[in-house]
Amino acid sequence: MADQLYLENIDEFVTDQNKIVTYKWLSYTLGVHVNQAKQMLYDYVERKRKENSGAQLHVTYLVSGSLIQNGHSCHKVAVVREDKLEAVKSKLAVTASIHVYSIQKAMLKDSGPLFNTDYDILKSNLQNCSKFSAIHCAAAVPRASVESSSSEKFEQSNLQVSSETPANNELTTNGHSPPTSKQIFQQPKGIMGMFASKAASKTQDANKETKTETKEVTNVSSTGNKAPGKGNVMSNFFGKAAMNKLKVNLDSEQAVKEEKIVEQPPVSVTEPKLAAPTGLKKSSKKAEPVKMQQKEKKRGKRVELSDDETKETENMKKKRRRIKLPESDSSEDEVIPDSPGDYEAESPSPPPPSPPPEPVPKTEPEPPSVKSSSGEKRKRKRVLKSKTFVDEEGCI
Amino acid sequence: MFSEQAAQRAHTLLSPPSTNNATFARVPVSSYTNSSQPFRLGERSFSRQYAHIYATRLLQMRPFLVSRAKQRWGGGVQVKKLCELQPGEKCCVVGTLFKAMPLQPSILREISEEHNLLPQPPRSKYIHPDDELVLEDELQRIRLEGDVDASRLVTGTVLAVLGSARDSGKFVVEDHCFAELAPQKPAPPLDTDRFVLLVSGLGLGGGGGESLLGTQLLVDVVTGQLGDEGEQCSAAHVSRVILAGNLLSHNTQSRDSINKAKYLTKKTQAASVEAVRMLDEILLQLSASVPVDVMPGEFDPTNYTLPQQPLHPCMFPLATAYSTLQLVTNPYQATIDGVRFLGTSGQNVSDIFRYSSMEDHLEILEWTLRVRHISPTAPDTLGCYPFYKTDPFIFLECPHVYFCGNTPEFGSKIFRGPEDQRVLLVAVPDFSTTQTACLVNLRSLACQPISFSGFGAEDEDLGGLGLGP
Repeated sequence: MADQLYLENIDEFVTDQNKIVTYKWLSYTLGVHVNQAKQMLYDYVERKRKENSGAQLHVTYLVSGSLIQNGHSCHKVAVVREDKLEAVKSKLAVTASIHVYSIQKAMLKDSGPLFNTDYDILKSNLQNCSKFSAIHCAAAVPRASVESSSSEKFEQSNLQVSSETPANNELTTNGHSPPTSKQIFQQPKGIMGMFASKAASKTQDANKETKTETKEVTNVSSTGNKAPGKGNVMSNFFGKAAMNKLKVNLDSEQAVKEEKIVEQPPVSVTEPKLAAPTGLKKSSKKAEPVKMQQKEKKRGKRVELSDDETKETENMKKKRRRIKLPESDSSEDEVIPDSPGDYEAESPSPPPPSPPPEPVPKTEPEPPSVKSSSGEKRKRKRVLKSKTFVDEEGCI
Repeated sequence: MFSEQAAQRAHTLLSPPSTNNATFARVPVSSYTNSSQPFRLGERSFSRQYAHIYATRLLQMRPFLVSRAKQRWGGGVQVKKLCELQPGEKCCVVGTLFKAMPLQPSILREISEEHNLLPQPPRSKYIHPDDELVLEDELQRIRLEGDVDASRLVTGTVLAVLGSARDSGKFVVEDHCFAELAPQKPAPPLDTDRFVLLVSGLGLGGGGGESLLGTQLLVDVVTGQLGDEGEQCSAAHVSRVILAGNLLSHNTQSRDSINKAKYLTKKTQAASVEAVRMLDEILLQLSASVPVDVMPGEFDPTNYTLPQQPLHPCMFPLATAYSTLQLVTNPYQATIDGVRFLGTSGQNVSDIFRYSSMEDHLEILEWTLRVRHISPTAPDTLGCYPFYKTDPFIFLECPHVYFCGNTPEFGSKIFRGPEDQRVLLVAVPDFSTTQTACLVNLRSLACQPISFSGFGAEDEDLGGLGLGP
C-alpha cells in the first residue's frame, strides 16, 4: 500500500543506509508536507518500538513553548534528545508544540549532524525550498526572467538589480546591465534554436565564459553598453528579417562583445583573443558613447553579415575573426556590402573568391563543425588557427 | 503572546500521518512604506569639513531646546547666546557639548615623536574622572561646571543649560535639559496580531557550528516548517523580518592577505566570500516565504561611515530573484502596518557605551531618544558622512518602535514621553552568541524574545536552554 510504503522507506533509510532522517529531509525526499513527514516519523517510531522493543533507534524531538525568564515570557524552541524530553517539557510553562525532529540509528553527541543533513538536502532543493512548508506567501514570487523596467531603474538608483538568471548575469557593475540580463537569457534560447545538436551545457559554458570574460572587462563602462546592444542585436537577428545597413566602425569591439555572450568555442581560444581586443576596446570604447549607436551598428553588421537563416556560428566566426584582426576592419568594411549575398552560398560550399577571403574559410569548416558536436571544439580551433594564417596572408 | 496563541491549537504531530495537512497563508502586507530616504546618499563628496554638520545640528535643534527650556524653567527664562553673557546673570544657553577626554585615542598624539608613545590598546571604556565638559555655540565656547554629570554625557549632544557665568570664565550649571521626544503620530489600531521579527548579529563565517543550527531553526520557524500547527499558524502572522546588521562575523574581516607574503595568500579567497554565499542561501529561504529587510552592520561589506548604504544586490544572486527581499540602509526607518519603526545596527549605541558611564544598552537607547539624536557622537568618534545641509540623524518624528542591534543581551521596555508618546525600545541581542531573536507584536506593542537551542555533549543539565536549576 502506498500508505505503508513510507514505513518501509524510513526503515531502509535508518537501518540500511544508516542515515540521519530529519523531518525536513524526509519531506523533500518523499515529496510530502512537512507536518505529514513529522507524523510519519512518529508513526514509524511507535511501530518499530512496539514490534521490537530492543530496536536501535535514537530519536530527537523538537519542543517549543514559553517560560518566564528575567521577567519576560520567553519563547523557546529547542531540539532535545529523547531522554531529556520530559525534563524540558516540565520546565516550560506553556508547551506550544512537540514533534519528532529526527531518527537515527546511532546516538548523537551533539546537534551538528542534524544541521548538516538539513543543509545538504536544502542545497539540492534551493529553488523550491518552501514547497512543502506550512506557510505560503502570496507576495513571494520570483521575478520574471526578463524585467526591463526594473533594469532601467537600476541605472538611476543603485538599488535594484534584475539578475534573474543568477548564474549568467554578473554584469551588474555598471548601470547598463539591465538589458544584458534580458539578452543573456534570450541568447540561450536563440542558441538552442540554432543548434539542434548542441546541448544546453554548451550554452551554460558560453554564458559562464561570458561571465568570466565580462568580469575582466566590467570596469570599462562601454562594456555594459555593448552587452545590451549585442543582446538586442541577437534577439533582433533571430526574430526579424530586414535590418538597416549601417556603417560598422568598431567592428572588433562589437565582435568581442558578441563573441563573449554568444559564442560556444573553447575558453582557451577565446581568452587570448579577448585579451588583445580588450586593450583595443578600452581605448576606443570611450569614443562610443551612445548605446543605441552601437546597437544599430551591431544590427547593421549582423544584417549585412547574414540573413536570418544563416547559422550563428558563422557570425561568431566572423566576429571572432574580426576581433583577432582588428586591422582588417577596413577590408571588412568593404567586404560587408558583398557578404549578405555570399553568406548563404558560403555555408554549404567553398566560398567564391570574393573580397572576403576570411569569411570564406571561416564558413567552410563551420557547417561540418556544427554538425559534429564532438569534434567541434577541435575543429574550431583548427579553423581559427588556419584562418589567422590565411588572414594575415590575405591582409598582407 | 506568540506562545500562548500557538498553544491554543491541538497537538497533532505525535500521531499517525493524516492526509490533510493544513497550510496557512502568510498575512499579506497591509501597508509598508520605507522612509529611509534621508539616509540614502547619492553622489558623495568628501571635500567638506565636519564643522558644517555641527552647525546644522545646532541650527535645527535650537528651536526644540528653547521651547523645552521655557516649559521647564518658566516662560520668563532668558535664552542667551554665549557672546551676550554677562557675569553673574542667570540665564539659559543652548549649545553643543564637547567632552575633553584624556583617554580618547588621538591620532596626533600617537604619531607625535616628542611623546614617543606606543599606540594605546583598545579599551572598553574611555571615560576618566578628569573629563571636562565644554559648551559650544555658533561663535564661542565655555567650560561647564556644577550640577552636570560629565560621565553621562557625550560629545555632540545638543542641550540647554541653566546657570550663570562666573568671572573665572566658566559657566556654573544649575540645571540642564534635553530636547526630549519629538511629536508622535498615533498608530492606527490593528485587529489581528501581527508580528515583526527582529534579528541581528547572525555572524556567518564565524566558524561556530552551534549558531548555524540556531539560524536554521530560526528560518524554519519563520517559514513554517518547524513546530506544530498552532506554531505554524502563529508564524504565518509574522508579516516581516528585519535583519539588523552584522550578518557576517568579524572573523571575516581578517586582513591577513595584507600582512602576509603574496605567495602565501595568492590562492586564498576572502573569508567573506563563503559567508556571503551562505547568507544568500539563508536569504533565499526567508524571502521565499516572508518579506525581509536586510540592514548592513559593522562587519558587513558596505561603507564604514554612517549612514551605511544598502548591501549590493549582486552579492545575492539567488535571493534577489524574489521581490520580498529588500536591502536597506543603516539606520533604517519604515512604517509597517501603520507602526513606525526606526533602528540601527548598534554602532551608535556601542560608541556611546565606550565614551560614557552608562552600562545598559537599553538605557543608552532611551538616552538617545531623549536627546532627540540617533548618534550624537558622530562624527567625533563614529565615522559619519560630512553632511552640510541637514543632519539626518535628528528625530523629526517619534517612532513607535525604536531598536538597535547587536547588543550583548535582550532588553525591551515601553517608554513614555512628556506628550503621551509611547515608544517600544528593543535591544536586539547578537544572535551568534545568544541565539535569541525578538518578536514584536504590532497590535499590542509588546516584544517577546524567542530563543533557539540544540543539544551538545556538555548540556547535561539543560544549561544551554537556560532551563538549568
